[in-house]
Amino acid sequence: MATLQRVNKKGKKEYSDNLAGFIMSSPAIILLVAFLIIPIIYTIYYSFFTYQVVRPDNIKFNAIGNYVKLFHDENFYVALKNTVYFTVIVVPVQCTLALVLALMVSGKKKGVAIFRTLYYSPQITSMVIIAVLWTILYNSNANTGLINAFLKSIGMQPIDFLNNPKTAMNSIIFMSAWQGAGYQMMIFIAGLNAIPTEQYEAASVDGADWFAKLIYVTLPGLINTIKYVLMITLIQAMKLFTQPYIMTKGGPRNATKTLVFYIYEQGFQKGNFGYACSIATVFFIIVVALSIIVKKISKTN
Amino acid sequence: MKKVLRTLGVLALGGMLAACGNSSGTTKQADSSSAGESQVTESKSADGVTNVTIWSPTDTAAIEAWWVEKIDQWNKENPDIQVKREAIDRADAYAYENKITTATTSGNLPDILYVDGPMVSYYAANGITVPLDSYFTADDLKDFMPSTVQADTYDGKLYAIAPTESSVALFYNKDYLDKAGIAYPSDTDIKGAWTWSQFLDNAKKLTTDDYVGTNIIMDKGEGIIYALGQFFTEGGAEFVNEDGSKADGYVNSDASIKTAEYLNEFIKNGYANLDPVKDEFLNGKAATLLGGSWNIADLEKSNLNWGVSYFPVADDGKAASPTGDWAAAITRDSKNPDAAGKFLQWAMNSDNIASYASAVAKPASRTSAYDKMEGWDSGARALMKWQLQNTGVSRPRTPSYSVLSTDFSTAMLNIFAGADAKEELDNVAKNFDENYEMYYK
Repeated sequence: MATLQRVNKKGKKEYSDNLAGFIMSSPAIILLVAFLIIPIIYTIYYSFFTYQVVRPDNIKFNAIGNYVKLFHDENFYVALKNTVYFTVIVVPVQCTLALVLALMVSGKKKGVAIFRTLYYSPQITSMVIIAVLWTILYNSNANTGLINAFLKSIGMQPIDFLNNPKTAMNSIIFMSAWQGAGYQMMIFIAGLNAIPTEQYEAASVDGADWFAKLIYVTLPGLINTIKYVLMITLIQAMKLFTQPYIMTKGGPRNATKTLVFYIYEQGFQKGNFGYACSIATVFFIIVVALSIIVKKISKTN
Repeated sequence: MKKVLRTLGVLALGGMLAACGNSSGTTKQADSSSAGESQVTESKSADGVTNVTIWSPTDTAAIEAWWVEKIDQWNKENPDIQVKREAIDRADAYAYENKITTATTSGNLPDILYVDGPMVSYYAANGITVPLDSYFTADDLKDFMPSTVQADTYDGKLYAIAPTESSVALFYNKDYLDKAGIAYPSDTDIKGAWTWSQFLDNAKKLTTDDYVGTNIIMDKGEGIIYALGQFFTEGGAEFVNEDGSKADGYVNSDASIKTAEYLNEFIKNGYANLDPVKDEFLNGKAATLLGGSWNIADLEKSNLNWGVSYFPVADDGKAASPTGDWAAAITRDSKNPDAAGKFLQWAMNSDNIASYASAVAKPASRTSAYDKMEGWDSGARALMKWQLQNTGVSRPRTPSYSVLSTDFSTAMLNIFAGADAKEELDNVAKNFDENYEMYYK
């Protein structure tokens, strides 16, 4: 009898604990369901329909028609290729840059706080503004574009950065890495501070120079931070939109059309809502799959 | 409930994108959409008063003041029809359209909706707006500019009515023309306008190390088809067929390809910048400018030594000029279209259009309104007015306009970047026909 009562009491307590937990997390859960889960379900649902965006009264089921069209759509592959290219280049470039910056401004050197703030400042500025500024910097006319004015002054030919399909994406990659590195730098600085100073002292006693310290102390100590930074940079890079939207409108000749830009173009500019949903669904699957793969890989190491 | 779910569906795309991050573009969409959701259009209230709601983009202070004053006046004179307007922010080119899209899905459109001229066909063909023929007689319409009536008509019915118009002409820097020994083109006789060959030739002569010969890129979106589209008309090309159902054989015709190649001469040879800086002409960085009626005020304030002439004409003398502006329409969600129609009749009368056009410094859409407006008898303004009455042509009228406009500007930009004109325009035709067939056949 006594034991039974105790179990009951315990069960009740667990239940009320759970209830309190649910109540406390419910605002977050409700918001997540309303603005994330339901929209995702609806996106997948509408991806099976022909749906002109202002004709909700005229939605026609077309099974996997949108997906069949998608897999024959040249523009989709171009957008996929551009997105992958951007990601593959920008992730290592941006992360390396962030790490170098972090190494430069970590520790307690004089004036370091100023540089930290400077390197971080692009991050707190709106991407729209930065994109507009860089569009002017990149302008092909040496009378306008600062970069070309510089090239001209040292006797070089002007480069039409954003209107040449060969240079447009690389130009966007460069400015994106410059803009984004400050954020990753801050995370790296936090990671660097977590490495015990004793390890460096021990390395010094063993006669290690700065490079040996970097390879044998700093990098192993940072490994978890690096994994985290790679993961978030990767996901961020996949959803590139603002820069091509402001700077190039996806051009020239589709050179900067990314998947998210293509979803926007189909869904909102052209009104092909069902089709846009099918692209969004495929995009969603790609990003989720990528995240799982990256997580698996980083766990096995 | 179903409507709420549908609205959520439209939000879904934005939501899915937002789910993966915080790009400012998608956030903006989400903002404008959620604003649309909370929108409630009132109809008849208990005391017999009819309410009419208007949506239009947020405008300059002068126009905002015009609205307040006029609505005040109307509401006092018509106690049974109470009008209120909501100014909707147009943060970027499509924020306003996105809001309309969301409101369409949830059935929350206002009674009166302002839409951009070329989109009139799109909203009409999709049943979002209703015909206005019973509020504006054929006699009324005779007073309106031909291009206004043309742009606002779809399938033989009037679906919108615009208070103002727009036009594009060739502005030139007198000092630079003098330096190059080029005679000023006429601003009183279209026979003295520059032809295509003259325009190209002069642009070449006017290009120096310090400034370019001309500025033909208004912006890289709608500005392409708006400002450059009439070169195609002059070149004997059309964008789509008569009823706006087919583009193949029209937008990619030989005449069209030739026109695109002609325009590319300016960019390819460096006579015009593909990315002109803001106020390039005003700051002396371009010798000429394909500029709009809205540029006049700034030019008058500047100390630039400028002149104006007609939109360049084809070598065989064929002349056309860009037109179009925002227009008011009545939506299918309006519970009292007749009350809304009555208000529109009043708001679009000659006096009100004259004061509206004066406030916004745009050409009025009614001929009779010019008698009540100052400054339109001479100079650049008179030339704009003349173009509207004589050479103005509206942009192509078709329900698939947004596809045409988007793809056409992409194609032109690609051509400017070195792509083959035929290939690019073929692509525009293909996408257009596909879209029309999918939704409107």
